[in-house]
Amino acid sequence: MSFLSKRSVLEELERAKASKTKQWRDNLPTWCPGCGHFTGLHGLYEAVEKLKIPQKDFVVVSGIGCSGRFPFFIKGFGLHSLHGRALPMATGIKVANPALTVVVVGGDGDGVGIGGGHFPHAARSNFNLTYILLDNSIYGLTKGQISPTSPMGMKSGTSPYGNIARPINPTTLALAYGATFVARVFSRERDIVSDIITKAVQHKGFSFVHDLSPCVVFNKLVTYNSWNNMVEELPAEYDPQDRSKALALAESADPIYLGLFLQENRPSFDELSNRIKDELAQTA
Amino acid sequence: MKYSEITIRFCGIAGDGVVSSGKILAGACANIGLHVMVNDIYSAEIRGLGKSSSTIRFATSKLHSMGDGIDLLIGMAAKDSIVDLRDIKQDGCVMYDNSTPGSVVEEESLVAHITPEIHGYGLPIKQLANEASGTNQGKNLVAMGAICYFYSLPPEMFLDQIKGIFARKGEHTVEVNIKAFHLGYEYFKDNYPISNQFEINKGLEPKKLISGNEALAKGAIDCGLKFFAGYPITPATKIMEIAAKKLPKLGGWTLQMEDEIAAISAVLGASYAGSRAMTATSGPGLSLMSEMINMSVMAEIPAVIVDVQRGGPATGLPTKVEQGDLNIALYGGAGDSPRVVMAPCDTEECYSGIQLAFDIAEKYQTPVIFLSDLFLGQRIETVSLKPNIDRERCTRKKPTPEQLKNYLRYQITDDGVSPLITPGEPGAVYSVTGLEHSVTGNPNYESDVHSMMTAKRFRKFESMVADLPQADIIGDKTAVIGIAGWGSSIGSILEGMEIALKRGIKSKLIKSIMIYPQRENLFREFFASCKKIIVPEMNYQGQYAALLKSRYGIRPIEVHIPSVNPVSPLKIAQKIMEANDELSQ
Repeated sequence: MSFLSKRSVLEELERAKASKTKQWRDNLPTWCPGCGHFTGLHGLYEAVEKLKIPQKDFVVVSGIGCSGRFPFFIKGFGLHSLHGRALPMATGIKVANPALTVVVVGGDGDGVGIGGGHFPHAARSNFNLTYILLDNSIYGLTKGQISPTSPMGMKSGTSPYGNIARPINPTTLALAYGATFVARVFSRERDIVSDIITKAVQHKGFSFVHDLSPCVVFNKLVTYNSWNNMVEELPAEYDPQDRSKALALAESADPIYLGLFLQENRPSFDELSNRIKDELAQTA
Repeated sequence: MKYSEITIRFCGIAGDGVVSSGKILAGACANIGLHVMVNDIYSAEIRGLGKSSSTIRFATSKLHSMGDGIDLLIGMAAKDSIVDLRDIKQDGCVMYDNSTPGSVVEEESLVAHITPEIHGYGLPIKQLANEASGTNQGKNLVAMGAICYFYSLPPEMFLDQIKGIFARKGEHTVEVNIKAFHLGYEYFKDNYPISNQFEINKGLEPKKLISGNEALAKGAIDCGLKFFAGYPITPATKIMEIAAKKLPKLGGWTLQMEDEIAAISAVLGASYAGSRAMTATSGPGLSLMSEMINMSVMAEIPAVIVDVQRGGPATGLPTKVEQGDLNIALYGGAGDSPRVVMAPCDTEECYSGIQLAFDIAEKYQTPVIFLSDLFLGQRIETVSLKPNIDRERCTRKKPTPEQLKNYLRYQITDDGVSPLITPGEPGAVYSVTGLEHSVTGNPNYESDVHSMMTAKRFRKFESMVADLPQADIIGDKTAVIGIAGWGSSIGSILEGMEIALKRGIKSKLIKSIMIYPQRENLFREFFASCKKIIVPEMNYQGQYAALLKSRYGIRPIEVHIPSVNPVSPLKIAQKIMEANDELSQ
């Protein structure tokens, strides 16, 4: 955990004192010390605090997995749904009450494994919600089996002779599915994670944040250090408006680019459905 | 002959206008105040010359079922109508196309298969249609003209329908169809001077035709449905199409999801956010929804799930009826998973029952599975739908200011129902989960907590009973032959009881829209008053019988009809008479 050593403990304490995110803290997280998910949680604390979202209008929806407990660690309404079903449940919430701020949190198994069939449709419909995928390339809650994002060759309890399936790239998927905000972050970079999550929540439409969030207990192959050696910020001159360029950069395996790949202004589901409702009301 | 009730079937292939024939005849009958029931049957294949048929039963008094057999078969497509000859009643008739006699081989000829008990009438359907339109257009109207003459029905009732239906296609189309109608009428008059008589009372109010699926969708919308999510599936799609059209006009919305899992997930999400929400599916979809229905049980999120049952298992028989989903509705959840199961028995109950389903779901924070079926959902009939204005609409229980101070989402209460606030409402926030949880909603796996919360979830079903409608007991209360039925087979049971009664055998029926929970004391009293109990249903296993046996300890005569057609009233009558024979031995 090299990122902690970069800052003095005193500095950290000062920041913690200045932080106003305390009021958003709920139950103590049950994650292992060092888990990348703490960074995502902290990012969301900062985002909702910064955006002054009333707790009564804030809903976190999660699936199953280590990330699934998210709703219990942050104040506001929470729906800890079934494995893979966070996105369609969030869809129902958002359509029933568009005034709510809805954030979906899930892992790699939850989002591109069991729930993989829901992701394209939530993205292409451009529902006005935020989806944070905390990717640790492992099934952590079941104590270490390969996930859809695990690298080839990775050995685990269910792949004793090595993983022989090509890993899925969630950022690429989001771009292909038509998400209108696509970013990739790394849990080492706390401030960047907070900043991107804040922007994602602000975005009108389906915003996707792919957070590389290491599991320090069960994944010995994909770690802070392994990612540390591969990640790189998107080129400074990169303009996040071209989906095909974004796809090419998202596909790169070395370096793994971090940053905002795409932000597009396309009418959200709320806008389009309201347009239809308004037209119907006028003709009635 | 004189008739007070007639059943006519049009049988043909794509392009013969079979279904529109049914609509025209049904509409004409409803317009003059007759009771009408229509059952269309078509193959599951869209492409090719699939066979379809439309059976129309009309009468001067209320109809409960499609009855047994048909009085008149109109064989628009000869080869495909042969199999339907066996459904013709004693002394019934068939009309066949004799435009080009001898043009088909004997095996494919309808005439060659007509047996002596059936009266056959040749009618140059194609030839007369060509005379009227220059094409095959109007074939069904030629037949309609013949029917009109054959049963001495007033031609005006048809002419009004033709004008109404074809007006939007232009004056020429109306003229052509009227001409086709007259040619059929005249041909029959000239060639078959018969005078059958159907008794018509003049000056009756026109009746409205509606299908069970339409009535159900209307009922849901009338009681405040705001959100529908679904996935197209035969035979439930119509409900979704109506919701898709109507809800945006009422400030609501309908989402077509990527699968049934997503559909029920979105329904629970919307309900969690405060909307009256439902989905409609059939057996394959209900199977996929099982896990999320359990989420509804566990997190106590109201949801209404309509299952328009078709033949199963797996993809099964998409266009045929069966009552085979009772077991999955009742027992299709992992763990101790109580859910309300309801089954409407007719079109009126599709309308009123779905409103009760919503009230129960909302008041008791529970899933309600509403078991309609293909026959009930798709058949069209004349009904009068009464809104349930006599009952106040149930809403979700709100916390008192005192309860809000220390809000507990799953507070333990006497009736098992906890006060509920919705995201967006001020006062308190909470999280819910599919994990076992304490009163706060936080995950908790302690044995005591699990016992307490399971008991709470089941307690709702005990307190619910007082709210449930009484079970109906129909027939002679002194009868010792009792029948317990459910769902759409009730209609055939009622007619079967009438047939038996005409032969001097009394029977009585107990039916309830509620399958679980039930007002058990009424059922116990009923069963105690019977010497023979018959439980007929459209499945192989006797799923309702199994439920009654375990719940009431009865040993009924089980009638299992794994059916592709609605139950035959005669079959029910036979069972009643057999039971009577056994009693008198």
